Amino acid sequence: MQNNNPLSPHLQIYKWHISSLLSITHRVVGVINYFALIVICIWAISLFFGENFYQPFENILNTFFGKFLIISLCWTFSFQILNEIRHLAWDAGFGFDLKIAKITGVITLIGSFILTILFYLVGRNFF
Amino acid sequence: MAQFSLPQNSKIEVGNYFKDKTNSKNLRKINVYRWDPSTGKNPRVDTFEVDMDNCGPKVLDILFKIKNEIDPSLTFRRSCAHGVCGSCAMNIDGVNGLACIKSHSDINGDLNIYPLPHLKVVKDLIGDLSTLYKQYESIQPWLKVDQTGQEKTELKQSQRDREKLDGYYECILCACCSTSCPSYWWNGDKYLGPAVLLQAYRWINDSRDGDKKERLKKVADELKLYRCHTIMNCTNSCPKGLNPAKAIGSIKKMLATS
Repeated sequence: MQNNNPLSPHLQIYKWHISSLLSITHRVVGVINYFALIVICIWAISLFFGENFYQPFENILNTFFGKFLIISLCWTFSFQILNEIRHLAWDAGFGFDLKIAKITGVITLIGSFILTILFYLVGRNFF
Repeated sequence: MAQFSLPQNSKIEVGNYFKDKTNSKNLRKINVYRWDPSTGKNPRVDTFEVDMDNCGPKVLDILFKIKNEIDPSLTFRRSCAHGVCGSCAMNIDGVNGLACIKSHSDINGDLNIYPLPHLKVVKDLIGDLSTLYKQYESIQPWLKVDQTGQEKTELKQSQRDREKLDGYYECILCACCSTSCPSYWWNGDKYLGPAVLLQAYRWINDSRDGDKKERLKKVADELKLYRCHTIMNCTNSCPKGLNPAKAIGSIKKMLATS
């Protein structure tokens, strides 16, 4: 009898909080970064093999899609770094207070976009 | 792999609509999850029009009004109605809480009431918490001392040591936190969940307890403890304002530093 009882709804009804939203984003972004790092390594290795190998990468990255990809990756890395700092603080026993956790969450989110812009500007030799 | 969607027999159907019969001008729509084990049908969400001019301030008052005046078959747990017993824990407007201390005026629009998430439903708003109780038993939530027989003496505790239990001993085991935790949804059979881990910390942290090391060793497990990823849904939902996330963090820290 027990097994035929329905399961009460969970994901379908539960309200998102900033903390849960950042947590799942952190995980998704982590997976993306894992694959991104592999691609970046291949890109770096292609430099060693000379212009013929490097050129196709260069062509892809110079398209609109390529640029979008690069800026997106700037954001995923920025977000991961900032949220990881948050996790480090938690591991050291700080920042568990609900208010503080919310504030650091918002800072992480806004900071990740600011960091992305900084990355972009530094990459463009703006400074 | 966790199953993110509901199984076939748990899909929610549109239920009955109970129109207001009191001709009140101040009506509110209350959507309530219903499941009757005797019908063999899927769960449904019934909508009740409730006259808010003659209703108490809390969500539990609405449920009583529905049960007394509209549909007596509505089933829910409740006991003290003062936020002490933890019986009326349910999902109110997407967040777990106690119906008896949650004011319905805090919530805008239609009110959605569901049982605690990701539990086997017994009937209507009652979820089956037996797994959680078993896990609670597994952490041995009682004082363990080396004293035997006649040499038993009073266990004294300094004020400072007593204060270390503040924020932990107040837990009423309503299960709001555990059933709000996505990690507990996907690994509820192995992961202990915030409520039980907070209790574990309460006993680890008790200066009178003589079994601290054993307790820590027992809880130090990839699945039992480290499934906590600090999502903080637990702390967000605790109706007593406690912080299970911090308790779990403290256990992790203790393990890392000992």
